[in-house]
Amino acid sequence: MKTEKQIKMLQRIGRLFVLIPALTLASFCMANENEREGILKIYNWADYIDEDLLKEFPVWYKEQTGENVRIVYQTFDMAEVMYTKIALGQEDFDLACPTQALMQRMIHNDLLLPIGQDFGITPNYTGHMSPFIIDRLDDFNTRGKNAGDYALPYMWGVSGILYNPEKITPDKVQSWGCFWDPSNKGNMLMKDSYWDAYATAAVWGYRNDLVSGKRTVYSVINDHLPEDIALVEEQLKLLKPNLAGWEADFGKDMMTKGQIGFCYAWNGDAVWAIEEAAAVNVTLDFVVPVEGSNVWFDCWVIPKYAQNPKAARYFLNYLCRPDIALRNMDISGYCSPIASPELLEAVVDSSLEATQNLSYFFGPGHDSLKIDPVQYPDATIIERCAIINDYLDKNDEVLDMWSRAKGDNLFGGMTFMIILVLALLIIWIALRSIQKAKNKKRRLSRKK
Amino acid sequence: MKKILSASYIAVLLLLLYAPILIIVVFSFTEAKVLGNWTGFSLKLYASIFQNGVHHSLSNALWNTLIIGVIAAFSSMILGTLAAIGIFNLRPRARKAVQFVNSIPILNPDIITAISLFLLFVILGISQGYTTVILAHISFCTPYVVLSVYPRLQRMNENLYEAALDLGATPFYALRKVVLPELKPGMISGFILAFTLSVDDFVVTLFTIGNEGLETLSTYIYADARRGGLTPELRPLSTIIFVTVLVLLLIINRRAAHKRIRNEN
Amino acid sequence: MAKSLFSFLERRKNWSVPYILFLVFFVVFPLILIVVFAFSNEDGSFTLAHFRKFFHHPEALHTLIYSIGVALITTLLCLFLGYPAAFFISRMVSSRSRILILLFILPMWINFLIRTLATVALFDFLRIPLGEGSLYFGMVYNFLPFMIYPIYNTLQKTDFNLVEAAQDLGATPRQVFLKVVFPLSVPGILSGIMMVFMPVISTFAIAELLTLNNIKLFGTTLQENIYNGMWNYGAALSLIMLALIALTSLMNGKGNAKAAEEGGLL
Repeated sequence: MKTEKQIKMLQRIGRLFVLIPALTLASFCMANENEREGILKIYNWADYIDEDLLKEFPVWYKEQTGENVRIVYQTFDMAEVMYTKIALGQEDFDLACPTQALMQRMIHNDLLLPIGQDFGITPNYTGHMSPFIIDRLDDFNTRGKNAGDYALPYMWGVSGILYNPEKITPDKVQSWGCFWDPSNKGNMLMKDSYWDAYATAAVWGYRNDLVSGKRTVYSVINDHLPEDIALVEEQLKLLKPNLAGWEADFGKDMMTKGQIGFCYAWNGDAVWAIEEAAAVNVTLDFVVPVEGSNVWFDCWVIPKYAQNPKAARYFLNYLCRPDIALRNMDISGYCSPIASPELLEAVVDSSLEATQNLSYFFGPGHDSLKIDPVQYPDATIIERCAIINDYLDKNDEVLDMWSRAKGDNLFGGMTFMIILVLALLIIWIALRSIQKAKNKKRRLSRKK
Repeated sequence: MKKILSASYIAVLLLLLYAPILIIVVFSFTEAKVLGNWTGFSLKLYASIFQNGVHHSLSNALWNTLIIGVIAAFSSMILGTLAAIGIFNLRPRARKAVQFVNSIPILNPDIITAISLFLLFVILGISQGYTTVILAHISFCTPYVVLSVYPRLQRMNENLYEAALDLGATPFYALRKVVLPELKPGMISGFILAFTLSVDDFVVTLFTIGNEGLETLSTYIYADARRGGLTPELRPLSTIIFVTVLVLLLIINRRAAHKRIRNEN
Repeated sequence: MAKSLFSFLERRKNWSVPYILFLVFFVVFPLILIVVFAFSNEDGSFTLAHFRKFFHHPEALHTLIYSIGVALITTLLCLFLGYPAAFFISRMVSSRSRILILLFILPMWINFLIRTLATVALFDFLRIPLGEGSLYFGMVYNFLPFMIYPIYNTLQKTDFNLVEAAQDLGATPRQVFLKVVFPLSVPGILSGIMMVFMPVISTFAIAELLTLNNIKLFGTTLQENIYNGMWNYGAALSLIMLALIALTSLMNGKGNAKAAEEGGLL
């Protein structure tokens, strides 16, 4: 018999069992609801921003709007992962930083909100961006939408070869052929990215056509004709056994440590790597091969699932300030599209001897600037580079080709060994069951 | 002769097993960025563990790992103990069925567990973060707790509980004073096991951690590894982990030895 | 309400109910989800397209076969290296054997990423290039303790009276080993095989880090597909892996129960 006291105690316990989880769940949901308005979620490449800015922006934002904001910052190192997360609609990032090709795909698939010219306090943000980049945005218009309405260029650059002159002589890396040269086997890395690999293989595969003028770098990279794709596959399959590996991000680290001779690199990474290596007495250099290469830019977009586009736009405005852009350039090594006079003054280095022709970027009259040639490529380099567009409808086909070219490790010996082991296993099991049957018989006969 | 052969075989094997770890330990006491350069004794790397960037922070990751570990281990311990008691009292057929389902998370490869939980959270629309990680950890830790507590129930004298009831104790009182003390060693080892599994987990955490910048130790190391292998700051961390584990195992070993001596006397 | 709750709780077998619900929700249902996802299209309709894609896609199929091969080689290497070690240690004085076994188990408690990176560091230190060799070294390095521990445990529990009896009956040391000790250690071997073969088939981070992304194992394919949003195809691949593992467990029989026990290194 239970006393009243016991029943009361049990009732209390029972209620607790129900209340606690319910309360936790409720408070959790509520907390989430209220908080989201005060959060700015940013999804960016790793090592691509001065992280102190993440702490300084909320202060500036409060000055401008009187509101509080907290930044949630997530990084990625492969562009496709970023695209997937946004396309699936599971994540509600307010800002993301795709490459120009993915930006095109995102506009094409209707995943973005317009940036709006009227954000923040400086409406004319394109004012001090170089027309060299801004004009390129038109290349990416798709389905009647203006890329310029949806994307804000963040950093731009070219792709080339980062190399160690002590491990491979400079004349060898003037051509992409060094990747395919068997005497360099195991001495280099290629990027684990099907855009860069495709573009490089295409340029190398069609080098004769490029020289003869039959095709342009742009067409070779972007036409995606069936014979182009087939040629690229062939070249990649030749490349694979020659490589030390496919790198996502550890190439510049391995170069600084002197473990490999050269690798495919974006010039911003090269700037960073050259500086890091110099600190440990390793000299590195960067070159864009003669056959041609690609120029690219990363840009900020506002995905359509964003919950805080207002803070996003203010952040973009903040990033466009030349002083902020300079800080990001310093930290990452990359090059901002901003071409304002103050920025020009800051990047010119009178201690250099050679000059570069940067009139394509800073405007006429800037054809002999004393400036870091890796960060700001000379006009002759830009002439042999083309920008990569997205594969759009051909994407599945190219992805298939990519996994075929990259993936296959299986060789006859391995299959043979597996079959052998399986056969032995089956034989062993068979023998054991025969043995067991024999033993059983023996036992039974012994019982008699 | 045979003894020398066997001893040297073991020695060589141990050497190979510990060479990588020892290299890391030795080179954690120098500043050189490249593993293999010795630029003089220095504790700078140890200090650098605690200075970090705004979002990719080792101390944050460690803190998260510990919190998640404690919460998950504690919840698993409670859930698992209750479950073990319950399972013990089930009819044989039901018991076998539950024990089978209980062993699924143990036998499953972790990537399958990870993908299944990932799909679960996607279908339920729960956004990934602390909650999902903790739930995921509880789901693969509790079976081990059950396995840890259950043998103790089997060994316990069933009559003790009945005797307590006969002497006038309420079931809850009997539980607290008779059953739980018997189970305590199993519960504690279950807790430790669950904690270790949670702290060490990589794959399941990776698939349920979401995109809000949450990091645990394993995901932090993985992110760093993709960028440059063993970064210099991971060396002191590895050393600390190694020393901690060594000390813990020695302590456990010593306690087990003492218990053995006590039992023999 | 309180009364019914109370009498419900009185039956101790009902205490398992919360956990059973938990298991159904967090273990059984997610696995069913994998099956559902594997057989459905993006719009929810039933389809076998994903499985067809797998069998027609030489890359995925070859990766699976290659991973099986790597797993087999790793298991065999661990067996050949680990059995003698477990055997020698079990023969030693108990205090020394306890310490030695501790030393062999210790790496298991260190985060496996750190262990893998340590192997990479070793290769960097010795200036040996990474590739297939480093893959196998890294695999064996990671999983050798998992092979040694079950075998050692089983050998420890062997009743040495049997050994003495065999010796009394005039068996040579070789016969004692082959006819008595080895057969008795087979459960341990099976357990060890399960604890090595299964994880190797399903790892993904190890191969990436140890071969600079050159060699891709099946676990990586799985992970990539989920990461790239191809959940249905990824679920189908998971089912294939599950089927493979179920097959090996069936063949293993006794080893399963032991593996579950020792899975926690209790």
